[in-house]
Amino acid sequence: MSALSKLDEWLHEPLPVLRLELLRIAAPLAILGFMSGRLIHADEWVGDHGFHAPDLGGDYRQPLYIPPLPSTLAWALAMVMTLSALMCAAGFKARQSGLVFAATLAFVAVADRLAAFTVSKMSPVVMLAIALGPAGSRIGFDAWRERRLGGKRAKQLRALPSLRFLQLLPVVIYSASGVAKARGDWLKMPRVLWTQLHDTYQTAVSFALAAHLPGWSWTVMQALVLAFEIGAPLWFALPQTRRAAFVFAVGMHAMIGLMFGPVVWFALLMITLLVGGWGPPALFAPLEALAERLERRPRATEPS
Amino acid sequence: MTEPLRASRGRGIGGIVGLVFGALYLAGVWLEGVGSSIPGAVLPRMPLYFLQIAALFPHAAVNVIDYRAEGWLCQERRWQELDTRAYFPLDPDDKENRFQRVMHFFRDNRPTMHALDEYIVAGHAAGSAARPDGLAAGALLGGIRVMSLRLPLPAPDAPLARMERKPLSEYPETVRKIFYYTPTSKRAERCGYREPPKTPDGSPGLAPGRSPRASEVSPPASDGARDTIP
Repeated sequence: MSALSKLDEWLHEPLPVLRLELLRIAAPLAILGFMSGRLIHADEWVGDHGFHAPDLGGDYRQPLYIPPLPSTLAWALAMVMTLSALMCAAGFKARQSGLVFAATLAFVAVADRLAAFTVSKMSPVVMLAIALGPAGSRIGFDAWRERRLGGKRAKQLRALPSLRFLQLLPVVIYSASGVAKARGDWLKMPRVLWTQLHDTYQTAVSFALAAHLPGWSWTVMQALVLAFEIGAPLWFALPQTRRAAFVFAVGMHAMIGLMFGPVVWFALLMITLLVGGWGPPALFAPLEALAERLERRPRATEPS
Repeated sequence: MTEPLRASRGRGIGGIVGLVFGALYLAGVWLEGVGSSIPGAVLPRMPLYFLQIAALFPHAAVNVIDYRAEGWLCQERRWQELDTRAYFPLDPDDKENRFQRVMHFFRDNRPTMHALDEYIVAGHAAGSAARPDGLAAGALLGGIRVMSLRLPLPAPDAPLARMERKPLSEYPETVRKIFYYTPTSKRAERCGYREPPKTPDGSPGLAPGRSPRASEVSPPASDGARDTIP
């Protein structure tokens, strides 16, 4: 069997649909959390009440100039974004609402360079991948309605190339991030991590840790993070190291979320991708039990 | 027909397009993250922008950087600190604030600095009572001066203090780097001066009308278009 055939087989191997369902529920909520601070100031954010850099005519810092929206339109966009995210999380027209949410995310990422970060740029792709899969087929309003209409019982296992994509995304990010760190200061300076703890991202947790942990411990953590990130493709590919890689990655993001103020939403999104993509099957047992219980309920067309 | 092509039959054109897009996206994220020049060479700016997600915290922080602004009080003919959070309410207390981001990306871009100048002066005139900016509500504002504070990191193993926002006056001149100030002529026009304003006392050696020296103006970040924070 050629490598490409193996890849094709891996891509189309049946996987639990519940993994995608978990992503469909949690990812929009994490992204919405990140956007919440912006949404409550929609007219300042993408509307004409706020400051916006002028059209710089192709300046390298401005990927595309989009003029600020009239305030009414900015608020309408905020409402569409919020509603589509909540609908997707609730499994109501999950695929369509996921696509609408992805479109609004892509728009705001470009419209306001100033408030755009990693979450802004990766979330449209995450939502697109979720919407292209069988989102909402097992849990949520769509699944409930399908049962009421006497539709077929949803498959538990399906070929899910979009889930494969969402599995690979964090691994690719770690790998690239590790190489970028190695090319940057992480192999030259022993306290790169420590230097990041003193600015406006600082939380009570990061301050307490910076104040009490010995200096060498930051070097140890720096080395561990670098080794994890550079080797991430290997750690997640090998069955022997996969569980440890999952635990390390979730722990790393939990610490990032606790130690770097507003980065908590990025941390939650990455934890969501990790759990949905790489979480041990046991983690999904309660969700599977819930889905099965819902699926066993009498249908509208069945005699009660 | 080769195996993979045979395998892809029945997946539909949409599935194949999705696979190709997904593979290219992941390859692009990786290449851009590791610093390859390939994505920048083959992609327009907008798709490239969406790939810039992976190179996070590659460098050690050298200073703690905070951007601040002052307003030129026409009547008093002096600079006074102006709280930009009144005009940039998103994420007011951290470096994700949009004023901090304007300065991070565009501090060396004159059109943007002029637009910022107009925005803050007009904002103060329109409603500083509703959005307190630290200046007297009725005070006529002639212009702005924006700068960074470059605060030294604490020494390793030295006692630490929590990061807090202090008034500008509590920071020595040596940690300030001025990037832009409203030209003298513009301030005179806005203030209605008949003659050029007097040299302000207490300004960091920057008399109105004189451009900042090279040593007073920080260079743009080498990665000005990229985010290295998540």
